[in-house]
Amino acid sequence: MTVAYLGMIFGIGIWTWTVVNRSRTLELRIEALEESLDLKDFDKDILMSKIEESE
Amino acid sequence: MMRVGHGELLLGTGFLGVMTTLYLALNWAPSVSIDAFASPAAQRIFYWHVPSAWAAFIAFSVLFTGSAMWIFKRSPLGWKLHVAGSEASLACGLMTVWSGCVWGAAEWGTPWDWSDVRLNTFGLLTLLALFLVLGRQSQPDGIESRDTFSTFGLYGFILVPITYVATRIWQIRHPGPVVGGGEDSSLSSDMGLVLLIGAISFTILIAGHIVMSAKITEYEQRLEKLQNHIDGGF
Repeated sequence: MTVAYLGMIFGIGIWTWTVVNRSRTLELRIEALEESLDLKDFDKDILMSKIEESE
Repeated sequence: MMRVGHGELLLGTGFLGVMTTLYLALNWAPSVSIDAFASPAAQRIFYWHVPSAWAAFIAFSVLFTGSAMWIFKRSPLGWKLHVAGSEASLACGLMTVWSGCVWGAAEWGTPWDWSDVRLNTFGLLTLLALFLVLGRQSQPDGIESRDTFSTFGLYGFILVPITYVATRIWQIRHPGPVVGGGEDSSLSSDMGLVLLIGAISFTILIAGHIVMSAKITEYEQRLEKLQNHIDGGF
């Protein structure tokens, strides 16, 4: 029982941590990319909508 | 400094609630009658098993809604909900199946019964979620693959009402409903309170995971578009 409970807590913990970590990593990569392109917030939205339109 | 978003807040609160449920289940909830159960101590896993099954049904509903939105409306939000719903369904499904097997092994002497309708329909639902998560990761993203996975998400949902009513129609091995099952279903107030805290905590946790997963899908798509744009000569 103890092993079962610990396994489930460990599973939930790892899953939650992975999700948060993945989100933060992606957020940082996007920020870095947008910064390197020197895009301001307004430009970012226009760029994204243009890309979507062209698709 | 990183901002803490709604998703992270929900995840933190849900996780704290799940830990509280676990503490209450092991230390505070009253014991069951030793005459009614072969393994009364193992019964405490019920406070984890039932809320995780409840969360799995929420996740399967999100998966169904997202799949329908993608199939009928080609909605990008629908696809995000499909992805989030399938991942959350898999995690909650595995928790439910695992905790059920542990209890079954202690109480019935076997972790699984192939003749029990509830066990097998829920097992199929979890396998469906596994197929959707692994299938999506192994296929390139495109309209055709999204249509295929959404179709499975849409029609697979039929197993949810069957799973729900299974113990009301066929009582083979899985116990009958403990809440909302008529005169036979009753819980003491302390047991009901721990179960309620568990259900609320798992709902908050799964809502957090769905919000975060939808956010990750959006980030992945944004990143891919930016990279494609650069590669195409920005």
